[in-house]
Parts: sequence; structure tokens; C-alpha cells
Amino acid sequence: MDYARPERADRLAAEYALGTLRGRARRRFEQLMPAHPALARAAAHWLARLQLFAGQVQPVEPPARVWTGIQARLFGSANDAQADLGSDPAAARRRGGQLRFWRTLSAGAIAAALAMVVLLNRPAPEAAPLVVILRSTPEGGQLVPTGFVASVSADGGALVLKPLAPVSVDAAHALELWAVPKAGAPRSLGLIATGDAPTTVKRAKLLVDTSAFAVSLEPAGGSATGKPTGPIVSAGGI
Amino acid sequence: MSQHSDGSGAGTNNASNATDAPDTTSAANAANAANAARDDRLAELMARVARADRAAFEALYRATSATLFGLVLRINRERPQAEEVLQEIYIAVWRQAASFDRQRGQALAWLTALARHRAIDSVRRKAGQPVTISRFGAAGGGGGGGSDGGGGDADEIDLLERLPSDEPGPLDLLDDASRAHALERCMDGLSGEQRSSLALAYYQGLSHAEVAAHLSQPLGTVKSWVRRGLQSLRGCLDRATQRLGRVGRVA
Repeated sequence: MDYARPERADRLAAEYALGTLRGRARRRFEQLMPAHPALARAAAHWLARLQLFAGQVQPVEPPARVWTGIQARLFGSANDAQADLGSDPAAARRRGGQLRFWRTLSAGAIAAALAMVVLLNRPAPEAAPLVVILRSTPEGGQLVPTGFVASVSADGGALVLKPLAPVSVDAAHALELWAVPKAGAPRSLGLIATGDAPTTVKRAKLLVDTSAFAVSLEPAGGSATGKPTGPIVSAGGI
Repeated sequence: MSQHSDGSGAGTNNASNATDAPDTTSAANAANAANAARDDRLAELMARVARADRAAFEALYRATSATLFGLVLRINRERPQAEEVLQEIYIAVWRQAASFDRQRGQALAWLTALARHRAIDSVRRKAGQPVTISRFGAAGGGGGGGSDGGGGDADEIDLLERLPSDEPGPLDLLDDASRAHALERCMDGLSGEQRSSLALAYYQGLSHAEVAAHLSQPLGTVKSWVRRGLQSLRGCLDRATQRLGRVGRVA
């Protein structure tokens, strides 16, 4: 398909915004956008146009368990989620009912029990965090000329990545962090902040089956395949 | 079913806004400023979420979740599923926030697209056609609007009971939108079928094929209604977004 043809790009973008572009066609469209500015521009225009329709839909307040679930699924702890909600008066107002209280309490108990199982299954943690230096690779150093320092908590539960110099990539690209095992495919740890901001990764078992960390240059939004697709710009072994 | 059964009179007050004349009322200016400020705030939150800022993520959730949940529920009416979809949406927001480019679009439009697409996918995952209800279901002639489900009367009654009687249908919402943004003149240029097709696709998330089944029309006909409907509205929508001060940022 020739996405450079403006009428075609515009028509696809309109269908994308309306929602009639479906399944594989839509996913392909989304993958192409970062590399085809005309397509991305057409899509942004149609999304802005059709946004005028969205305002007429009555908002519906979701129940508190949705937020609790999001927190639990992303950050792995229903306890934390509950604490966050408790500190927010708006959330406290929204929360209500004894049933929900018991539900969250039991969710917290389950999470705590799971955390305990994880803890018991893990070798005794060392006290000090592990520091890994990621150096520029010969190939990638020209694209992104900086190294990174990764500090990983001793239990492998958290990682903070700091660039040695401010990082900049153009809008069509992003940097993605990977945990590289001795054998097999790297696991994505997510996208890296630009500028000199540190990136935090909270994920249990960062050190299990990991022999190195690496940073690759990917299309904006990250690798669509789940594996690195661009050049490795920086890497460091544990 | 709706309070909007006769929209022709109510719209005339706004008709003068349909011209290109700049909006001079202070209320409208204030609303535009508020819109722009809201977009900026959301874009800022998105940028922070892209840097894994959890406080910004929570603020973004609080600012947008009710809006997105309303949109999702229009497309997927099963509450437990809609809640699940809303969770998936924000998990995707957390992971994909970096791909939002504020130079290129509005944050709320980006979030809306993500939410609607996820909701549409969730309905597709279910076996069979979604059953749809609207007051113009019989527009295509044929034998009434309920012929697409195959589930029989019991399903229809269930769905009708779940639907609050005063909830506006898709076409009501499109009428509301056109009144709110002074699009009546453009809408008048569209046929009833074109309006119905757009309303069903946008608000209920129906595919071309589903709209065709719903209106008892051939697929090709519906596709061209949708395409021509969008093209006819294009200029009007552009003027309306400019009045809102929203599209200026789009390069």
C-alpha cells in the first residue's frame, strides 16, 4: 500500500479515528505512524476533528476497584495502591461501603501472602544494590553518544537507570531498555526517559536469568515486536 | 426515549455560530481557554507518565477515567468487561505514554482513541455480533432493527431493561454534538443514513459490516456513506476545532 499518497493517508486516518479501521489493518496503521509523519499528521487531525463528538457522552465514574486493579497489575502491590488511595481525599470520598472495604482488605491480604511466597522462594538478598555500567557501543555511540548507570536493588525488584549525559532522540524514535539473558530473547524493561531524568523500572526478578542490560534505539512507542529491532546503543554486563 | 425528539427548533439559536466569524462571547472564550488549559495539563501529565511518574499517572487517571469509562460503556455495555477494558486502557497508557507527541495532537484525543479502540476490540473478542439498540434501527426498511442479533426476543428485552429509558441513542448524541459545536448546517447536508452510519460507528463502535447489518443495507453502500459523510463534515469540523483553539498546535 502506498501510504504516501495524501488522499489515501487521509482516508485511512479518518477510519482510524472513527474506529472502522479494524484488527490487523489498525495495528499496521499504528505501526506505520511513527515512520510516516504524513500518516501521523492526518491521524492527529482526524482525532481532533472527531473529538468534538466525544464530549457528548456522559462521563461515568468507575468504581474504586478499577484503580486498585490497575495499581496491582502494574506495580504488583494492592497494599501500595490502597495506601495511595487512602492519602487522597477525593479517592476517599469515592470509596464507600463495607463490602468494598472487605474486598480491598482481602485483596491486600492475598497480595501480602503472594509477596511472602516470593520472598521465601528467593535466595537471601544482599544488602548493597548492584551497579551496572552501560557503555556506548561502537555502532550506537554515534547515534546516542552516552552511557548509562543502572543500579539494581539487591533483591532484583527495582532498577534505576541514569544517563551519564542528557539523552536526546528525535520524535520518531525512543530508547528501550532490555534485560539480556545468557541464552534466549531479551526482555523489554520499557522505554527510557529522555533528557537527564532517571528511569525507574519496578519489576520483580530483574536479576533472574539476566546477564546484561542493553539499550536499543526503537521507533517511538518502543519495539512493536517485543524484541530489539534497532541498533544497541549501550550495553553492560553484570 | 429521548428529550431530543425535535431538535430543529433548539438549534436555531446557535446557527449564527456556524459562520467563520470569531466567537466573541466571553463565556465561549472562557470555555475555550478552559479547554486549552485542560489539554495542556493533560499533555504535561502524559509527559510525566512517560517518565514513569506515578503521581502524574494517578492525576491523569482521576482527570480522565470517568470520561473514558463513559465512552467504553457506550461500546461495551457489559459492566464487568467494561471495567476490565478500562484497566487495560490505563495499563497501556502507562506503557505507551512516551509515544504520545504533544506537538502533533491533543492528549485527550489520544486517550479517547486508545479507549475506543480497546473497547471495540473487547466486543470483537466476544463471539457473534454485538446487539445494538437505537431509535432509528428500522431506517433501512426491512423488518425492524432487531434482525441482526439472532438471539431472539429474550435478549432484546434483557438489553432494553439494562438500558436506562432516558439514555440518548447514538443519533441523539450526534445531534447534541452538532448543536454544541454549531455543525447543524453541515449536518443538514448529510442524508439520514449518512448520519446514522457515522453515529453508530462512532458512539457504538460498530464496524462497516455491523452498520450495514444494522441498517439492512449492502456493505459497499454503507462504506461510501461513511466516507462521504466524513468528507462532508471535514471542513465544518476543522472550523469548529479552530474555534476551540485546539488544532492550532497540530503542525
